[in-house]
Amino acid sequence: MTSMEKRLQKELQALTKDPPAGVIVNTESVSQNMSEWIVDLYGAPGSLYDGEKFQLSFKFSPRYPFDSPQVMFIGPNIPVHPHVYSNGHICLSILTDDWSPALSVTSVCLSIVSMLSSCQEKKRPPDNAIYVKTCSKNPKKTRWFYHDDTV
Amino acid sequence: MSAAASSSQGGAEGGTHPPGEEEQGESSAYYECNICLDTAKDPVVSMCGHLFCWPCLHQWLETRPNRQMCPVCKAGIGKDKVVPIYGRGCTKPQDPREKMPPRPHGQRPEPENAGGIFPGFGFGDGGFHMSFGIGAFPFGMFASTFNFNDGRPGPPPPASPQHAEEQFLSKFFIWVAVLFIFWLLIA
Ligand SMILES: [Zn+2]
Ligand SMILES: [Zn+2]
Repeated sequence: MTSMEKRLQKELQALTKDPPAGVIVNTESVSQNMSEWIVDLYGAPGSLYDGEKFQLSFKFSPRYPFDSPQVMFIGPNIPVHPHVYSNGHICLSILTDDWSPALSVTSVCLSIVSMLSSCQEKKRPPDNAIYVKTCSKNPKKTRWFYHDDTV
Repeated sequence: MSAAASSSQGGAEGGTHPPGEEEQGESSAYYECNICLDTAKDPVVSMCGHLFCWPCLHQWLETRPNRQMCPVCKAGIGKDKVVPIYGRGCTKPQDPREKMPPRPHGQRPEPENAGGIFPGFGFGDGGFHMSFGIGAFPFGMFASTFNFNDGRPGPPPPASPQHAEEQFLSKFFIWVAVLFIFWLLIA
């Protein structure tokens, strides 16, 4: 087992045993391919996304956890949010520049839930149309500019 | 954005187990490396108190040599800012940092394209070959005209499709060159 698989195994164990509220890993997807996970995310109660269900796709390179995972929303329901593009790409600094190997699938999910929860108004990023037309399939290839605006 | 990012950092990680977790896991979690999540091997502790295997931390420091931060709390960290830990069972204490650091894995980073600005560029191989042909044109003419032999890498083996393509391109450009010189002469 490689160090990447070993770590993912530990994460999977912890996440299935003790999932945080609103985060459910699709173990069926993981059992087929350890390097690609699908995680169901539920909008937090009281937030604008209360009752909504989303799906996150995680793809891990062999260099995980030194290399950040590729994370994006997939499926029919992409949250309408100022930092989520309609193709599922997420503008979140821990997914690229601020990634740390001490982060995990769980902490990434919690960051995304909290990003959604702090949203005041459901709207797409202002550059959504042009970005979705011109971006690479892999959100990690985008050079994100993290504007520190309050959501 | 960044606020959302940092708020949960370290939260779900680092051995916070709920009650009900068996005691074994509870106690060993204190000695887990914050990177591989396994019991720390060749352990070192940072000034900020975070525990890592030296090989794990070393690999992270190599990954971002000019932004050396503690993976857990982002405090400054470095080879000379960590303390090795020697347990009692450690018969021949040797500073893990002095050991030959584990050889880094061979890296094959994916080619970074401009990402999102010109998605049309670099698509497929055609563009690359084409620009290569044009770029190499003056040298190609020089070499074929004067039979120069500089240290340039040799042509691909004959019979490969690239060879055929290059043959075609060089022939094509020689004709273009001939026509161009002819045009210069008569103009
Ligand atoms: Zn480790
Ligand atoms: Zn620290």
